[in-house]
Amino acid sequence: MKKTILLLAALSAVTLASAQKLVIKGSDTLGAKLVPMLAEDYKARHAGVIFEIAAEGSTTGISAIIDGTAQIGMSSRRAKPTEVSAATAKGVSMKPIIVAFDGIGVIVNQGNPLAALTRRQVEQIFAGDITDWSQVGGTSGKISIYTRNTSSGTYADFKELAMKKRDYASSSQKMAGNEQIAAEVAKNPNGIGYVGLAYLHDPGIKTVAIDGALPSEESVIAKKYPYARPTFYYTNGEPTGEAAKFVEFTLGDEGQKIVRKVGFVPVRALN
Amino acid sequence: MVGPRFGPTTGTQFNDNPDRPIMLHLKSKLFALASVLLCAGTAFAQDSGPLIDILVRKGLITDQEGEDLRSELTKDFAANSAAGKLNLGSHLTEFKLGGDVRLRHQVETQAPQNGTVSNERTRERFRFRFNGDALMQKGWGAGFALETASAADSGNQTFENGNNDYNLYLARAYVSWRPNLNWMFVGGKQKNPFYTTDMVWDSDINPQGVTEIHTRFIGAKDTLEFRASQLLMDDNNETGGGRAGRDAWLFAQQAVYTHWFGKDAIGNAVNSLVIAPGFMVYNDSTLSGLDNETPFNGTTDGLAVFTMPGEVNWMNVAGAGTAVKLYWDFAYNLEAERRVRKVYGLAGQPKDATAWLVGVGYGSGTGKVQGDYSVKLDYRSLGTGSLDVNLSDSDWAFGRLNQEGFKLAAAYNLTDFASFNATYFHTTDKRETQTSAVSNLDHSQILQLDLVVKF
Repeated sequence: MKKTILLLAALSAVTLASAQKLVIKGSDTLGAKLVPMLAEDYKARHAGVIFEIAAEGSTTGISAIIDGTAQIGMSSRRAKPTEVSAATAKGVSMKPIIVAFDGIGVIVNQGNPLAALTRRQVEQIFAGDITDWSQVGGTSGKISIYTRNTSSGTYADFKELAMKKRDYASSSQKMAGNEQIAAEVAKNPNGIGYVGLAYLHDPGIKTVAIDGALPSEESVIAKKYPYARPTFYYTNGEPTGEAAKFVEFTLGDEGQKIVRKVGFVPVRALN
Repeated sequence: MVGPRFGPTTGTQFNDNPDRPIMLHLKSKLFALASVLLCAGTAFAQDSGPLIDILVRKGLITDQEGEDLRSELTKDFAANSAAGKLNLGSHLTEFKLGGDVRLRHQVETQAPQNGTVSNERTRERFRFRFNGDALMQKGWGAGFALETASAADSGNQTFENGNNDYNLYLARAYVSWRPNLNWMFVGGKQKNPFYTTDMVWDSDINPQGVTEIHTRFIGAKDTLEFRASQLLMDDNNETGGGRAGRDAWLFAQQAVYTHWFGKDAIGNAVNSLVIAPGFMVYNDSTLSGLDNETPFNGTTDGLAVFTMPGEVNWMNVAGAGTAVKLYWDFAYNLEAERRVRKVYGLAGQPKDATAWLVGVGYGSGTGKVQGDYSVKLDYRSLGTGSLDVNLSDSDWAFGRLNQEGFKLAAAYNLTDFASFNATYFHTTDKRETQTSAVSNLDHSQILQLDLVVKF
């Protein structure tokens, strides 16, 4: 019995010693659901790989690559010149790899007759320059604006993508998540808000075309829809070892199907 | 399978598809494009984002190729430019740095009343100013200014004491909040918020306290602003008791009405009329430690001054860009008698409650372009009891009251950023035999020749 326990302990030690550990840090947009699901699938195919995933924001992901505390940094934004400069000073070469696109759709109440807006009109509505639907060809009524709260990355992204970095109207109401925005717009005939692509089919809302383009996987991939952004893995130079395999898996068909399943847009059309 | 358009091309370990020749072709294009952009310099490289976006959108390069190119350009920008190492907060919408250096040759005569000797001298002086003003989201702002010399009414430093170095002082440190077009609030040591002439407020003074401004737009041609400041002039120790134990506050308020009239060749109203009645009053306190040109360290009693500056501008009078300006100021101290007789101790002297200025100017251009020039001449008269001597222009009669005389100023832009200025002041006393230091100047002359370079 004693010998058996010793043998099992020795085997466990050998297994742990041979296990590959992949440390991934960064964006909560990617790290909340997408990367953990990719990791689970990857582990099922590659026994012995251990993941350590910390989703505390894009800045932490880029810092982790600069500091060498992660093999992959997740980021929903590009590295800033100051970060690239800091990396260069430490001999680190920041390598961005696009792993998915993230689209943001503009929604209104299902009863709203309006079907399309221009980018300029969206900017003016969310900035508070336009306050009544009649100013954009709709039925008269005071516009109610719903946005994500200030801690959300999407809050800042929408400002950059749609509002030329202007401030939201002071009357805008801050919501905790996509579901809450969709629910409020569904209840309010004069409501307008924005949600991720996965939430565009919630009941009671409809999606508005922007400059003639509706948000969809196809329009994002074809660069016809304006409110879309790439999301990244960052590595120190070309990825190697287990990190390279995981990046390859993420960009492969299986990984990109998971990307689609989580609500992101794959980096290319899938079969 | 990684397709040719969106797949990673630089990470060749991911690329095991048969399109390799196409990928190599794309890589060649990418290399050529990167070479062009990188060779174009860092400034162009930093502006290349939209160009890369277009190339991606047109399918000439893939997203990943675009990203690799963008990354290389960012690395180049970070390595070869200061901006790549400057980390500004994302809440900033604008951060403006600037300043100027002024070299001055000054010739002056200062003759006291009942004196036998005129103080005549020349001085070689300079002034350095460095300002930073930040605009932030939600209408917030903040800023600072550094300058030579500690006096509130002058940034001039005379070249002296061998090659000793000179101090820099904090001339401004403020925060502002403009919630909408109609309201603005400023706190701290700030630019003078009032419409004024240098008869009442020396232009070098940066008052300290809080300011509220409300703007009303009346149609397209009229604006009415209400400005109010509560300015802390001295912090006194409350244990002192009486007026010496009260902080000194100056409460100033003003209405500024602007009317636009006339039309230029394309129909814009370009002529303007400004009228700005105001009132400023101190609480009953004391001032000490002032080191302006003519400081009055003593009680603030007897200063309740009504002011009425204004101007009329006529544009394009002698061709496009030329202008004639008529400007004036008027001040009347409601408590001049107490100020003169009790505070200055000039028993038996008249209160001389009035100060006035009238001037005319002619200019070509805005003063910001090479070849622009302007000439201004004003005449003013300052009664002994009319104004706060600590605030009025330190150059005109060396900041003294009980003087009348003129100021002639000319400016010429040598370049868009450098100008040559010449200013001449000449004053004489209004009343003789005044014994107070604020009013006992017989006559004065100052000639200033300046070279100003902005950066």
